[in-house]
Amino acid sequence: MNNIMRSEPANPAAANGSSALLAVSGLSKSYASFGAGSAAKQVLRNVGFRIDPQETVGIVGLSGAGKSTIGRIIAGLERADGGEIVYGGTSIGRLRGAARRRATLGIEMIFQDPYESLSARMRIGEIVAEPLVIRQTRRGDRAGLDRAVRSALAKVSLDPDRYASRYPHELSGGERQRVGLARAFVAEPRLVIADEPTSMLDSSLRLELLELMDRLRRDSGTATLFITHDLALTYRFCDRLLVLNEGEIVESGTPAQVIDHPTHPFTIRLIQALREFHG
Amino acid sequence: MRSNRAGAMGLVGLFMLAAMLLFTLLGPALIPYDPAERSGSPLAAPGNGHLLGTNDIGQDILAELATGARVSLTIGLVGALASMLIGVAIGVLAGYRGGWADTLLMRLVDVSLTLPFLPLMIVIGVFLGPSMSTQILVIAILMWAKVARELRSQILSVRTRGPVQAARAMGAGDLYILRRHILPMTVPLMIPQFIQAVTASILMESSLSFLGLGDPLAKSWGSILFYANARSAFLTDAWIWWVVPPGLCIVWTVLGCSFVGYWLEERVSPRLQSYTALGKITPKKTAGRPASAARTGGESAALRIDGLSVRYPKAGGEAVAALRDIDLAVHPAEIVGIVGESGSGKTTMASAIMQMLKPPAARTGSIRLGGDELTALSDRELRAARGRRIALIPQAAMNALNPVWTVRKQLTEAIRCHRKLSRADTQARIEQLLGQVGIEPRYLAAYPHELSGGMRQRVVIAMALVNEPSFVIADEPTTGLDVLVQVEIIALLKKLQQELGLSMIFISHDLPVVKRIADRIVILDRGSVVDEGTPGHLSVHSGHPYTRKLMDAIPSIGGRQMRQEVQL
Repeated sequence: MNNIMRSEPANPAAANGSSALLAVSGLSKSYASFGAGSAAKQVLRNVGFRIDPQETVGIVGLSGAGKSTIGRIIAGLERADGGEIVYGGTSIGRLRGAARRRATLGIEMIFQDPYESLSARMRIGEIVAEPLVIRQTRRGDRAGLDRAVRSALAKVSLDPDRYASRYPHELSGGERQRVGLARAFVAEPRLVIADEPTSMLDSSLRLELLELMDRLRRDSGTATLFITHDLALTYRFCDRLLVLNEGEIVESGTPAQVIDHPTHPFTIRLIQALREFHG
Repeated sequence: MRSNRAGAMGLVGLFMLAAMLLFTLLGPALIPYDPAERSGSPLAAPGNGHLLGTNDIGQDILAELATGARVSLTIGLVGALASMLIGVAIGVLAGYRGGWADTLLMRLVDVSLTLPFLPLMIVIGVFLGPSMSTQILVIAILMWAKVARELRSQILSVRTRGPVQAARAMGAGDLYILRRHILPMTVPLMIPQFIQAVTASILMESSLSFLGLGDPLAKSWGSILFYANARSAFLTDAWIWWVVPPGLCIVWTVLGCSFVGYWLEERVSPRLQSYTALGKITPKKTAGRPASAARTGGESAALRIDGLSVRYPKAGGEAVAALRDIDLAVHPAEIVGIVGESGSGKTTMASAIMQMLKPPAARTGSIRLGGDELTALSDRELRAARGRRIALIPQAAMNALNPVWTVRKQLTEAIRCHRKLSRADTQARIEQLLGQVGIEPRYLAAYPHELSGGMRQRVVIAMALVNEPSFVIADEPTTGLDVLVQVEIIALLKKLQQELGLSMIFISHDLPVVKRIADRIVILDRGSVVDEGTPGHLSVHSGHPYTRKLMDAIPSIGGRQMRQEVQL
């Protein structure tokens, strides 16, 4: 299956890996599976790709393809069984604790569920400030912290005076996800992992939020890993696209390339299905 | 209702505890006798300067009770606090660390929970010798395990929650996550536990003292009982004023704690508020639109809805309108798509048509299925109509299937609800159905978890069609499925609709999917129909701003506009 891969060498470090912001190679992961005779389920097989500074890379696949697992491994929420993740020149895959915190400075994550990913007990201002507090980038600088939070809220069109002291349950789903964006961008990140950031939102809010995310990342020169099941969205928001099927990257290229001239049978099926709905 | 009662109980409990606290604090100052001194004749009956009489030495019992309260309450509180501290530490360690620490600590908890309570208490008490610290230690040893187990399970459930994951992705350390996220989420849940622990340790203190394991010099309620028993209070009438009052003090305090605990438990684990206490909405007759007027529309429609409104009562007497004055006709063999975003009322509509609205909802208007007014049917008639004449394909296939039944059993039960078929006929009908929905017969023995999402959805569709209804409501049948499967399910529904001549309402938030299947689309926004038309008409000609907004929100692939964006 791997032979159909285009333009994505199995070992990114060999090909221009030095200038990449993030280089992932040979990533594999399996989960223990329960039940008689069932073997461990392999969710990722030899996944390799790279993200250059300021680039937006989309990962598309069906549910269970392993898209979220890739994001969660890079963010440190799960550990890979094998493979290497190099961020800003440092291999971060095996780091722990404070060393990891230092090495992964500049990686932020946006979560899928706007209702669940914000703490119900914290005010919006505190939630947005959290990356700065954890990373201690503005230790002892209360005024600077406040300024950063207010500016981050203003950038996602939430009036800091009105929203900073509210609690998440007082906000709509779209507003909450904008808080998620503010939280991701408050610390001037270099890489944002957006894991299905709009799949829980009503469709009329979806494009609006993605456009906002696009603007934020352009303004701050941030690279993005955009994880989505919706191939149609990548057309507009990604520089490059990876198609993931059953834990393997089966195709990659610019969205136009992949969507207009798919070569792998899975991608072809996916795009046919999509054209049924999006004509 | 329930929470009102809990609130009242909480108030009573607080009052009882406050009264006891006042007695403890002010009692010794107000009572003119020293409990350690002989102040009257032995075993004097109540009255006569001694409100509760005296004991065998002649000490005033009321004064004893007041000083005893200090010891009892102190040991109760300190013992509970100590057991909470141990329990919380171990619960956090086991729940948050997990792994071998969890296994080890939880076995320890299991062991200490199975230890026989009373004998252990006596053994430890005798071994360490009677004193206040012995009592506190025994209480802590016996009570930490329950707290630890409860907290561990709470932590396990919040450990994978969004905010915790988010903080971890930001590189937060364990201490930060515990302090900032996990403890604030779990410790409030431990407050009722604490109250329970106080209750239990007051009882335990009394038992220990009664057994003579308390500090012999410090008087507590338990030790008053101990001396009363030891010095034969029960041989005379003296037990009435010597034994009953300390007993009542214990009961009073424990009851107060329990009431407060019950109320707090209700507070920290809020259940869905029952609407019954909020007053009913009196259904108004839809003015100017008598139900009979619908008849003039003729009975040509498979389903006709007239002036349907659904309101939910809300605290403060206001009502929230989930649906406002909906008119809708579905013609025979027509597929009407209902599109709306979250909160638009689309699922309320499905429930209203099926007559399955939950109690606080108040419905007005008329729903006629082939000329029969559904809202006027009795429960029995409704049950007969559901499934046979009108069927629902519910949201979320996994939840709609019984996880411990095989596919065959699910379908057999669906048939049996409505008719008696012979075993062979049932079998034949099931096989025919499976063929129609495209499931191979070998899956008849499979359980829901062994099927893919698409297959489960097919089984749910088969269940809806099992008794040959002529009208089907499909509520978000493609939500949560991958696009490849969505295409299959849409094709299947379309095929079934044509083969069986079904009339259908297809509800979805996903406009592209609805455009694909529906003959006519109704756009629902905040409970009202705002637009209506054929898919082609709505895509091109609709002038309604909300429809336009929904249409524009569909990302197109390979559209010219998009391609230009990418070229940038």
